[in-house]
Amino acid sequence: MGKKILFVDDSTSMREIVGMAMSDAGYEVTTAEDGNDGVGKMENDKFDAIISDLNMPNMNGIEMIKAAKNNANNKFTPVIMLTTESSDDMKQQGKDAGAKVWIVKPFKPDQLIDVLKKLLG
Amino acid sequence: MNDSVNRYWDNRFKRQTVKILPGDYYVCDGQEMIVTVLGSCISACIQDQVTKIGGMNHFMLPTKKGHDYEQSVNITDDTDTARYGNVAMERLINDIVKLGGNRHSMRAKIFGGGRITNTRIDIGAGNISFVHEYLHTEGIQILSEDVGNIYPRKVYYIPEINEVYVKIIQHMNNTTIIDRDISYIHSLDKYDTEGQVSFL
Repeated sequence: MGKKILFVDDSTSMREIVGMAMSDAGYEVTTAEDGNDGVGKMENDKFDAIISDLNMPNMNGIEMIKAAKNNANNKFTPVIMLTTESSDDMKQQGKDAGAKVWIVKPFKPDQLIDVLKKLLG
Repeated sequence: MNDSVNRYWDNRFKRQTVKILPGDYYVCDGQEMIVTVLGSCISACIQDQVTKIGGMNHFMLPTKKGHDYEQSVNITDDTDTARYGNVAMERLINDIVKLGGNRHSMRAKIFGGGRITNTRIDIGAGNISFVHEYLHTEGIQILSEDVGNIYPRKVYYIPEINEVYVKIIQHMNNTTIIDRDISYIHSLDKYDTEGQVSFL
């Protein structure tokens, strides 16, 4: 069984492209379409990594990480932010919420896979 | 980007107007008009029909060296190139959401993608095919479009009323638009080597 990844993004295109790249690399991918949906998926599963967009309806990525830190299953799961935002201020907010890595879109799927390998071995 | 917005008063439309260039986008919730000139690039004008918040982007996909016409119309299969378009669309959609818009009530109008030079690669066709595919995947309906053909276009978009006026530029007096498109393509090549990963 591959390592389990939760990928949260409100764009269907991103879920398809990034989801496929991770599946091809041998990861078992669960997708969610916003922060609320992501938190719902966390209730039922313990993930090895969470990858999340920042700007999403209902619950954004930062709020979702904070919720993950209060989730018994995923309290210690490393979080990667994958977003069009690149300001230091936003990165600091991500760090304060508990994110480990910040990747700015556009990115190459290979870059994300490299980061996953570094984080998960 | 909004700190370097190019604004002027348009006397014909009687509106405060924001001019955008390749790679830019602009979103507003007021009475402004957005204007741009398109060669082979695409502009998507997206409005949230409920809140009337809307905006426009202006982008093209980078082409790879050696791409021929057959490949460039299938450009959406290539995640390496499509991701630029994805980001251009996502920035626009995200800003509409930030101002209070909702994905589910967004509708699009698309313009551009002209074959303005007589090169072997039809860059415009690849861009048109990308934006069709993207909006279809995202479930955003296209209300109208004026794409393809061989002419550059000047596009005026008023998000508040979701109206677009297109002026076809039949005769180019100089190569400004072509030169600008080419320098934009080259800037995308440079962007390609970047990849910003920060360990926090």
